[in-house]
Amino acid sequence: MSEYILEMRNISKSFAGVQALKDVSIRCKPGQVYGLVGENGAGKSTLMKILAGAYKADAGEIIYKGQRREGASAGDVIDSGISIIYQELALVPRMSVAENIFLGREPQRAFGILDLKSLHERAAKLTARLGISMDTSLPVSELTVAQRQLVEIAKALSQNADLIVMDEPSAILAGSELDQLFRIISSLIAQGVTIIYISHRLDEVFRIADEVTVLKDGELVETRPIDELDRQTLVKLMVGRPLDEIFPQTDHEQGELVLVAENVSTDTILEGASLELYKGEILGIAGMVGSGRTELARALFGADPLTSGTVSLVGEEGALWTTPAKAIESGLVLVPEDRKSHGLFTSLSVRVNITLPILSRLTRFGIMQSQAERAIVEAARDRLSIVMASSDQEAQYLSGGNQQKVVLAKWLETDPAVVILDEPTRGVDVGAKFEIYRLMRQLNDRGIAIVMISSELPEVIGMSDRILVMNNGRIVGEVAREEATEAGIIELATMAGAGAN
Amino acid sequence: MSLAKTRINPALDANWRLRAFIANYGVYIALLVLLLAAAVLTPKLYAVNTIAVVMRQASQLGIVAIGQTMILLVAGLDLSIGGIFIMTSIVVAEVTNGRDEMVIPAILISLALGALIGAGNGVLVTKRRVPPFVATLGMLVLVKGATQAYTRGVPGGFVPEVLDIVNQSWFVLSIPLLLWLGLNALFIFVLRGTAYGRKVYAVGSNSEAAHLSGIPVDAIRISVYILGSCLAVVSGVVLTGYVGYVDRFIGTGLELDSIAAAIVGGTAFVGGRGGLLGTIAGVLIIQILSTMAILMGLDIEVQFIIKGLVILGAVTLYSVASTEE
Ligand SMILES: Nc1ncnc2c1ncn2[C@@H]1O[C@H](COP(=O)(O)OP(=O)(O)OP(=O)(O)O)[C@@H](O)[C@H]1O
Ligand SMILES: [Mg+2]
Repeated sequence: MSEYILEMRNISKSFAGVQALKDVSIRCKPGQVYGLVGENGAGKSTLMKILAGAYKADAGEIIYKGQRREGASAGDVIDSGISIIYQELALVPRMSVAENIFLGREPQRAFGILDLKSLHERAAKLTARLGISMDTSLPVSELTVAQRQLVEIAKALSQNADLIVMDEPSAILAGSELDQLFRIISSLIAQGVTIIYISHRLDEVFRIADEVTVLKDGELVETRPIDELDRQTLVKLMVGRPLDEIFPQTDHEQGELVLVAENVSTDTILEGASLELYKGEILGIAGMVGSGRTELARALFGADPLTSGTVSLVGEEGALWTTPAKAIESGLVLVPEDRKSHGLFTSLSVRVNITLPILSRLTRFGIMQSQAERAIVEAARDRLSIVMASSDQEAQYLSGGNQQKVVLAKWLETDPAVVILDEPTRGVDVGAKFEIYRLMRQLNDRGIAIVMISSELPEVIGMSDRILVMNNGRIVGEVAREEATEAGIIELATMAGAGAN
Repeated sequence: MSLAKTRINPALDANWRLRAFIANYGVYIALLVLLLAAAVLTPKLYAVNTIAVVMRQASQLGIVAIGQTMILLVAGLDLSIGGIFIMTSIVVAEVTNGRDEMVIPAILISLALGALIGAGNGVLVTKRRVPPFVATLGMLVLVKGATQAYTRGVPGGFVPEVLDIVNQSWFVLSIPLLLWLGLNALFIFVLRGTAYGRKVYAVGSNSEAAHLSGIPVDAIRISVYILGSCLAVVSGVVLTGYVGYVDRFIGTGLELDSIAAAIVGGTAFVGGRGGLLGTIAGVLIIQILSTMAILMGLDIEVQFIIKGLVILGAVTLYSVASTEE
């Protein structure tokens, strides 16, 4: 057998007239971590879906464990020892965590009767190994996106694979969860498992990868050992030009108060949150998975009913909102974390997605002004470099990062007083990330206040004027930008007992 | 971005293009094939009289199918249409009692009652979260029961003379056909060119995202059910004029035929995808098939079998065309 566990040779694939991959080759040795990087729409996920048997390549061959693979189905691929953590989570919402982890491989007693006890025991063991405390009998629909991400990882681990592909597994993990993921990866490679790791967070790639492959516009740029690369070079290979990764700042003074939340609780983990938001600032919200950040965003936006407390915009006395529609009317918008189920209209075109919140501006007597609409969509596409075949393409066919850009673009066209961004750069490539940061600062310059939730600590620290740290459903501290350090924030966010009732 | 544009190569991926072609134009091609087949099998279909009849019946079904398509677009379903037909024909007969001058009030009353039924469907589906299948089926039973209780099984009144106008045609043109075409033009425009139409699609595509985008999801759903019922009233008035007396079984089967027409025309059962042009073709296919079956002297059972096969065939084709690889 050759020294490579996997070779993908000269793979090409096109969709809808878009060449997603052109003549791409990669190969992997056992017990190594391969970073796979590139801009949004570069073809990373497509390459991995071909490996998974989900798509068929137009050309090229796959040699796995010394054998040429022919027409394998997704099931065959899993049986052959390859497991994939997809970027767009693929769990069954109404089934429990344990059932999802062992879907199709449920432990059975005689006569095919499910062994529920063993199912839950094994699921609990796996989640413990991931260092997460989670009730494995909860339906997945009740988990946050980050928790679902962890379930996906547990599911992949349970398959005892020889090769694990992780397509942006860390996109919304932070701190200890991330450390845990890396610990697991190290123990896997010690056992000879091969990992292909896709991420837009380059620090992670440098931290764990042995070798990095860069794709650009569907073509292979280069594969290099990690020690022959530094961050700048890697970024240049990805983007095609050098990029200054400097967080844009504002220089203006703190503005006037725009939004006040007092003692806000909802039927979720969120408990007694109070905050003040000033014009033209970015208020960062940091915290672990499940600490109540998303719940806070939803409470501010009126998406979850408040069980106590008030949220109000200064100057609009009595303008309390109880629904998203009223919040939007009052000048508050939310870019939700869960883009697939809360943000995107997958069966509708990119154009329709982007202009939905500004229909009233684009209509006269209820009639769409299609030229004005197209102009806005074109501008958004250029500004955020959205890769798509045309603006009439259905949103579901865009790559993950490009979908995120569409969801963002949709709200940037509105003219709000307050923007709440829940994981705004999730899955977005480095170039576009800084473009989004610049856009955020432009909003600030117009006096718009931003609440930004992010698991990416460098981003929180780099962009926020102030940072609130959440722990166990409560806001446990405020850190000024000058004093913010990753270690300090993690300490606040993980302090035991903090925030407990 | 220029990059995005340079990567588009229309010559690529013939397979994909075939699928897209089937998904977008399959129904029109099917219609064409059917018309050609008719030329061979049942040339009588092309007699002016037959065409006029086919078009009048297609209009009846087509007007209902407009509403049904819009309801399907918001991921709903309306099975209560048969009840609305009966209600309409009874109201027309009772209120006018054969007097022409009472036609307008009778139609207005029918529309109001229809709107009420539609609102009932909509409220059950949105506020009470009853599945559309159950809610509208319940409504069908309710309305039918109410009409029977009201008439005690013997409907009274007469259909006014003036409604006979729906039976007149100039070559193939008739009032029902003009109504169908006009309503199609109106609602195609509403769906494509207005903010309301966008919202209809958005609600059907992802109601949670629509809610978070500030769209009044429930109101849109209810409004579409009301529209559907009102269109059924319009079709019911036409059918009453055609039948000329009050028929307890008037309009039976139109709810299923209208769903079939929309689905054959490419509207998705799960909402958010499809449109009225496809439905027009779907309506014509179903109507021509029935007429051909009659012209060929086939039994009613055989007609049902053919209709069933066409629907299953269309749905299979769409699902094959839309699955990736
Ligand atoms: N099913 C599909 N139909 C049509 N086009 C597709 C489909 N899947 C992917 N594409 C296109 O192929 C290209 C590559 O997409 P892919 O998802 O592989 O990108 P990616 O590198 O994973 O990007 P990201 O970092 O945003 O996840 C994109 O232009 C995308 O729009
Ligand atoms: Mg991807």
